[in-house]
Amino acid sequence: MGINFTNLNVNPCKMCTPMGSVTALYGIKKCMSILHGSQGCSTYIRRHMATHYNEPVDIASSSLTEEGTVFGGASNLIKGLENLIRLYNPEVIGVSTTCLAETIGEDIKAIIKNFYMANPDCKVKIIPVSTAGYAGTQYEGFFKALQAVVANVEMTTEKNNKINIITGLISPADTRYLKQLLDGLGVSYVLLPDLAENLDGVHVDVYNRLPSEGTSLEEISQMAGAKFTIELSTFVSDDISPAKYLEEHYGVPYKRMDLPVGLQATDAFIKQIVELGGVISPELTKERGRYLDAMVDSHKYNALGRATVFGEPDFVKAIINLCCENGIVPVVSATGAACSNFQAKIEAPIKKVAAGLFVENYAMVDDADFETIEQLTLDLKANVMIGNSDARRISEKHSIDLVRCAFPIHDRVGGQRIQMIGYAGSLQLLDRISNTLLGAKESTFREELYEKYYTGSDKKSPQAIHEVTKMNAQEIIAQKTATHPCYNCGAGQYARIHLPIAPKCNVQCNYCVRKYDCPNESRPGVTTEILDPEQAFQKYVIVKEKMPNLKVVGIAGPGDSLANFEQTKETLTLIKEYDPEVTFCLSTNGLMLPLYAQDLIDLGVTHVTVTLNAIDPKIGAKIYKYVDYMGVRYTGESGAGILIGNQLTGLKYLTSRGIICKVNTVMLKGVNDDHIETVVKKVKELGCEITNIMQLIPVAGSAFEDMPLVNNKEITAMRKQCEVHIKQMYHCKQCRADAIGTLGNDVSIEYRGCTAPSSTQEKTLEAKRFAVATKSGMLVDQHFGHASEFYIYESDGKTAKFIERRNVEKYCTGVEHCEDKASKIDNILTAVKDCHSVLALRIGDSPSKRLQDMGIGIVVTYDRIEDAVKKAANQ
Amino acid sequence: MEARILEERKQSIMVKDFCCSGDGKSITCEKESVSGAVSQRACVYCGARVVLNPITDAYHIVHGPIGCASYTWDIRGSLSSGSDLYRNSFSTDLRERDVIFGGEKRLTAAIDEIVANHSPKLIFVYATCIVGVIGDDIEAVCKQATEKYNICVVPVKAPGFSGTKTLGYKMACDALMQVIKPHAKPEQPKKGINILGDFNLAGEMWIIKNYFKKIGVDVISTITGDASYDTLIKASTAELNIVQCAGSSTYLANRMEDELAIPFLKVSFFGVEDTTNSLMRVAYAIGDAEVIRKAEAFTEVESAKLQEFLTKYRRNLLGKKAAIYVGGGFKAISLIRQFNEMGIETVVVGTQTGKQEDYAVIQSLVNEHTVILDDANPAELETFMKEKGADILVGGVKERPLAYKLGIAFCDHNHERKHALAGYEGVVNFTKEINLTINSPVWQLL
Repeated sequence: MGINFTNLNVNPCKMCTPMGSVTALYGIKKCMSILHGSQGCSTYIRRHMATHYNEPVDIASSSLTEEGTVFGGASNLIKGLENLIRLYNPEVIGVSTTCLAETIGEDIKAIIKNFYMANPDCKVKIIPVSTAGYAGTQYEGFFKALQAVVANVEMTTEKNNKINIITGLISPADTRYLKQLLDGLGVSYVLLPDLAENLDGVHVDVYNRLPSEGTSLEEISQMAGAKFTIELSTFVSDDISPAKYLEEHYGVPYKRMDLPVGLQATDAFIKQIVELGGVISPELTKERGRYLDAMVDSHKYNALGRATVFGEPDFVKAIINLCCENGIVPVVSATGAACSNFQAKIEAPIKKVAAGLFVENYAMVDDADFETIEQLTLDLKANVMIGNSDARRISEKHSIDLVRCAFPIHDRVGGQRIQMIGYAGSLQLLDRISNTLLGAKESTFREELYEKYYTGSDKKSPQAIHEVTKMNAQEIIAQKTATHPCYNCGAGQYARIHLPIAPKCNVQCNYCVRKYDCPNESRPGVTTEILDPEQAFQKYVIVKEKMPNLKVVGIAGPGDSLANFEQTKETLTLIKEYDPEVTFCLSTNGLMLPLYAQDLIDLGVTHVTVTLNAIDPKIGAKIYKYVDYMGVRYTGESGAGILIGNQLTGLKYLTSRGIICKVNTVMLKGVNDDHIETVVKKVKELGCEITNIMQLIPVAGSAFEDMPLVNNKEITAMRKQCEVHIKQMYHCKQCRADAIGTLGNDVSIEYRGCTAPSSTQEKTLEAKRFAVATKSGMLVDQHFGHASEFYIYESDGKTAKFIERRNVEKYCTGVEHCEDKASKIDNILTAVKDCHSVLALRIGDSPSKRLQDMGIGIVVTYDRIEDAVKKAANQ
Repeated sequence: MEARILEERKQSIMVKDFCCSGDGKSITCEKESVSGAVSQRACVYCGARVVLNPITDAYHIVHGPIGCASYTWDIRGSLSSGSDLYRNSFSTDLRERDVIFGGEKRLTAAIDEIVANHSPKLIFVYATCIVGVIGDDIEAVCKQATEKYNICVVPVKAPGFSGTKTLGYKMACDALMQVIKPHAKPEQPKKGINILGDFNLAGEMWIIKNYFKKIGVDVISTITGDASYDTLIKASTAELNIVQCAGSSTYLANRMEDELAIPFLKVSFFGVEDTTNSLMRVAYAIGDAEVIRKAEAFTEVESAKLQEFLTKYRRNLLGKKAAIYVGGGFKAISLIRQFNEMGIETVVVGTQTGKQEDYAVIQSLVNEHTVILDDANPAELETFMKEKGADILVGGVKERPLAYKLGIAFCDHNHERKHALAGYEGVVNFTKEINLTINSPVWQLL
């Protein structure tokens, strides 16, 4: 139970006894398992094992139901055994009980006896294992199964020279190693269980669904005649111990030992084998030396290790042994199993190593859940966790490394191949632990020491990063300028799109009227439609799809982009997310530029055009009728003054941050024509890239509608005159606010309304109503007569418009009517009576005729609903 | 090993041919699993847990022995934008003593402890197999706790033996109604939608919610992906329910329609066409011209974006053969259609809990000679995948090692996946995943 709770387990550090039982039985040759209980137990256990071992795990269930639970599950189990034999043809079947079977008091021994009586020819060895899920944990279930195996297999009592080696759950790779070790020592043995192959199989051409390797019945039968048993568990209790059973029944002496993990435990195990006739090979001596050498090499790193070790009690003890002999202090040792002697059995080595390193506090807890383990790990400042992947959340949450070991490992591959046994396995595990500690150190010590000792002066690293990004930004901008048709006259093959999202304006220029829209007219401030940011984004996507040379997105009104900053911001954000490569260009009168310049940079705008007609407020006053700024309308010189000041400040800010700025100036005869060169010099000084001196386009209704025109010759002369100061734009087309395409070819007309098909146009064809019989709701997939609901649509053949879902029962007049089949059809017919046709997967003759009589058409299909409706409407 | 099909399983296996009735009657389904057949099904408790567990700030207490809690602890990829509480496993961890003397006291004490140490708003108590047998009255315990603490303590009666996973869904829906219904006020104005039957695996609920945001539809309650107590109790204010996973949540939608007058629609966000149709359908159902216009524009753009991608990948996938073994009929049907769009033929298809009507649709969708199975076992899957030459299996993690042993590619379409398969994004992920496994170089070396 949890550290904070006495009646609640928070995040279990244990599994159930049936899990242990079926795992142990996976180490018996040609053995299948059936769980006597409800279906879920077997499925959950299979999932848990399959994810760890990456092997098919087939475990049958007697699939007890309500009936079996009330009247007994004997017939279920007998049927299950028969089926399992037919499907897998096993030599052994383990029948493990579950909570349910034990609670309802199933006598599986008796059921098995009945099975044999009913099937006298059956040669399969059926082994009952009593594993109530609430009585113990998986390691107890594991030994219970092994004890049941030795108790149920017919034994040959004739003496042999074998040693019985009985293990708890170890990995298939460790199992293989253990066998190699014993072979190398030259002793004859029976290993129980042996899951080396069944749970870590090789890939073969023909898959065999029966686990065909493992300890065979013949080998097991020799265990009674063995000269000795070594049981590699010091926690297993006598009542479930296979070694104890063999001693009691056949007089085989035994010894319980720790798992051979770490130098001392492995030495002890080998010493025991040598006493039983084993011979140490030179290779094994070298292996020992290699581990010892590694221990020395990494001892200083290991001494910094403060470990949390958790899992099955025997596993925890084994890891404690390895940690302690390497100077790692297990500050938290925990098992989910309830074992009263846990502390007594593990404390000695911990106490010793902790004393040597002056570590005062360490905890040892049994019956622990992960909430307890988490709390202790934090309290006692563990810096590494060793155990299964169930600690991954603690590891993630608190950034404490987890060395994955034992069962289950669900978030990494290769759990079945993790080694810890013998000198070689210990070496592998030690390296993993040492490297985890080293990794944590290596990746943090620079920063830590810097933070700790180098204080009070400028921090070096962030600035360096800033420089790098700045350089990259400049390169990117240069590249973008190269493909911007307005900034580079050699980039005429590239297209731009102006998105008309900014209707409002905050300056009234005397030459501007924005209210007209003639699709054939092209000039600034004109657009056919205003888009919201979402529509603008969609338009961009559609155009980009068809126009791969589209490089530039411009916001050019029809009002002022910064007077509509929210729309501008949202539009650019949406597009940037979809297409990070695109160039953003923006044109503005510059009034709000100081306020939003940094936002524009942050949004990724690289090119800004400011229309700047004068830098002298006196001249400006003649051009601007009014300026709306911060809620106040300014006229005359004060308005022009504010505007000009902000334009210049904004341009300076942008250019100083690497943004490419263009200045547009409208040449107004008799107003600013003598002033333009002064403007150009000023903006050059501010760092602008190019100026675009434009002709006035006189617009009816504007204050300047009668102003004399500037001819091409005059404008060219003015540009030439200014060219000595700054680059001039000669190729300007004075585009619309919704222009699309290359400068030479505006195709905006083709895309008009592409994002918003006008709803008034749709209704040209008469919309008919359809009733769709559907079950899934996506397909016409219901039999007309079985329909309990209809999806009602209207369609003119172009779109399928969903109207409502109609529940047939709601059309029903009373319960008694619904029960009657004839009435049910009546109800269905009522539900669809206003429809032109019905669409159904199938329809019977009688309803079909009745529909025809009602003048309702029938379409039998199994199409997607919307497609079927449109097709039907077109018929 | 030779192919063996158990006699009592033969009625649950069929091959589509000319003479099959097409009404699903030729396959036996919705029956208890055959004992000893190694069914891939789970239990009632599993069904209930699947539906309720994504509620992020609830205490999910498993009343029973430890196994049930241990194997279902944080195994699903439901994501949360708020609390992480649901990623914990709370269990009364019943022992022998409790089984003999009853576990009610322990359960009551556990709830008391939670209330004493934390401030829970919502607690679900799941009854497992033995609780059903030893006769603990969890309803009484929950009722008492609800009254004592004035919080929502909801019993979920899900003993594993009491039916199949489908019954568990129903139990979960009833539990949800118990949370939602008391907060319904008559004649309150209704606006926005609830999304039912999406569990926010790999953020799928977020994907769908974003779509609705883009077309201007408010999402009130997400049931149960990324749900919290505070959002759940607002569910009754929605004008429409949409149901994504029909198998688990139609029952809830029906109850909400009957008792809270919220109509519902079934939708699917698997595949381009389904996603588009579903969004359009919801837009029409809401009936707002602006929403319809936005939905049209949005779906058009999103579908257009995918065309080139799909054409490219189709070249790599055309002519491959798929086997499908999934939980419910809805998912199987959706997968067959997605595979059809990719140019992949489905040669074996089965479900754990498909219904008669599901199999009728499946029969209509697949080509002749396709094998259709209900509640299949590994031996049958092995036999038919080999016989039909499947290149890929779509299933849950239990089936993965079998596919690999047979040299067959695999796609996890279950709750444990960590990449989204729903919506337009999901189409990209799914297509990529199918390609990377089916065209992996490892198969050439076997």
